[in-house]
Amino acid sequence: MAERGIGRRPDHVSMVPEAPADPADLLRAVAGGDERAFERLYDLVAPRVYGLIRRVLRDPSQAEEVAQEALVDVWRMASRFDPARGSATAWIFTIAHRRVVDRVRAEQAATDRASRIGTLVADTPYDVVDDEVSGRLERRQVRRCLDDLTELQRQAVVLAYYQGHTYPQVAELLNAPLATIKTRMRDGLIRLRDCLGAGVRS
Amino acid sequence: MSTEIHALLGAYVLDAVDDVERARFDRHLRECGECRAEADELREAAARLADGAWSAPPPSLRANVLAAIATTRQVAPAVPVAPRRPVARWRLLTAAACVAVAAAGAATVTWVVQDQRVRDAQAAAESARSGEARVRAILTAPDLVTHQQALAGGGRVTVAVSRLHDAGVILMTADTAPDDERVYQLWTVRARAAVSEGALAVGQTTAVRVIEGLTGVSDVGVTVEPRGGSAAPTLPMAADVKLA
Repeated sequence: MAERGIGRRPDHVSMVPEAPADPADLLRAVAGGDERAFERLYDLVAPRVYGLIRRVLRDPSQAEEVAQEALVDVWRMASRFDPARGSATAWIFTIAHRRVVDRVRAEQAATDRASRIGTLVADTPYDVVDDEVSGRLERRQVRRCLDDLTELQRQAVVLAYYQGHTYPQVAELLNAPLATIKTRMRDGLIRLRDCLGAGVRS
Repeated sequence: MSTEIHALLGAYVLDAVDDVERARFDRHLRECGECRAEADELREAAARLADGAWSAPPPSLRANVLAAIATTRQVAPAVPVAPRRPVARWRLLTAAACVAVAAAGAATVTWVVQDQRVRDAQAAAESARSGEARVRAILTAPDLVTHQQALAGGGRVTVAVSRLHDAGVILMTADTAPDDERVYQLWTVRARAAVSEGALAVGQTTAVRVIEGLTGVSDVGVTVEPRGGSAAPTLPMAADVKLA
């Protein structure tokens, strides 16, 4: 019996379930060139990175391309993550959001997107989200907190974040003064922050 | 803090500002620790909105990303060379050249140039040579005007000029370097005569160059020349940005 214990194969040891992944730890490992850590990080964040980008762009093939750029950026820039400034996931989504907004703006250079989609927006903050994981707690919380905003705050935040509009475009879409939109974006985010709890989460 | 610029905080965090506003706001954040803290907090909240957009990515994405990282070099950790300058590292904007491009109104180029910058030591040296402080001063001038043109063969040239500073910044980013050991060379056209603003190295695809003195400058041009550059531009120009 004792022999069996001793005779455990080494690969058995390596199959011990990995500790629950903390994105910040993974990102630190990624900064050191750990591709395995990157894979785990990918699995944690890719659905949200892709979902966000797809939501903003609406074109699945373009979304895949931009998501790839963003995720490779995460690998490339990992050493620049500073945990003192915020969570690893927020850092990653910030990269993804900048990437997709850059893409939207590049396209806007050719077409006036504001007028083109002006009729589609404003009342549908959740419409295009795929529902594979509709039960996720985080999603419910975000949705609840968005609902907690005033109508103008919610629309201002949603049109900017999920549609990639600039604040002057949002002002035009909502037919509101620029100063009002700037203010609503800021106080909307403050309310959102307070509702979500200042806590950083993965 | 300046209230006027600070009112942009929400829009800035939501990436709902244009590139010039972003550059100005980045500067504002560098000067205001309190504002930086607020921006960090609100960015944290904004990023949670990504929770609301969950979608299973196509399997090809995972394979492609993993294949890409296997051949992608990582950037070195930020060197704490200037602790006096609390750069918003979150933005991944490594000081002037990136602020520069952001200010120049080329959103997509921002990333490209960043990419190139971190990979490309030549470009970094180039930028250092051009004087980051000077670049930043010009690009945050209140009267900044930007001119942009596509580069033949792919890429973009942005010329940002400030009459107040009597100076401009040329930002060039090409998709590919010229072949056959040829190089890009930058020119200003003054009183119909082309003046070289320097040739790039072989393989170099990005440049940040300050032009001092705008009097009489009607164009900024980019040509493809033999290694080392030429005394006179080889036509046609790969880009000809009209300033007048």
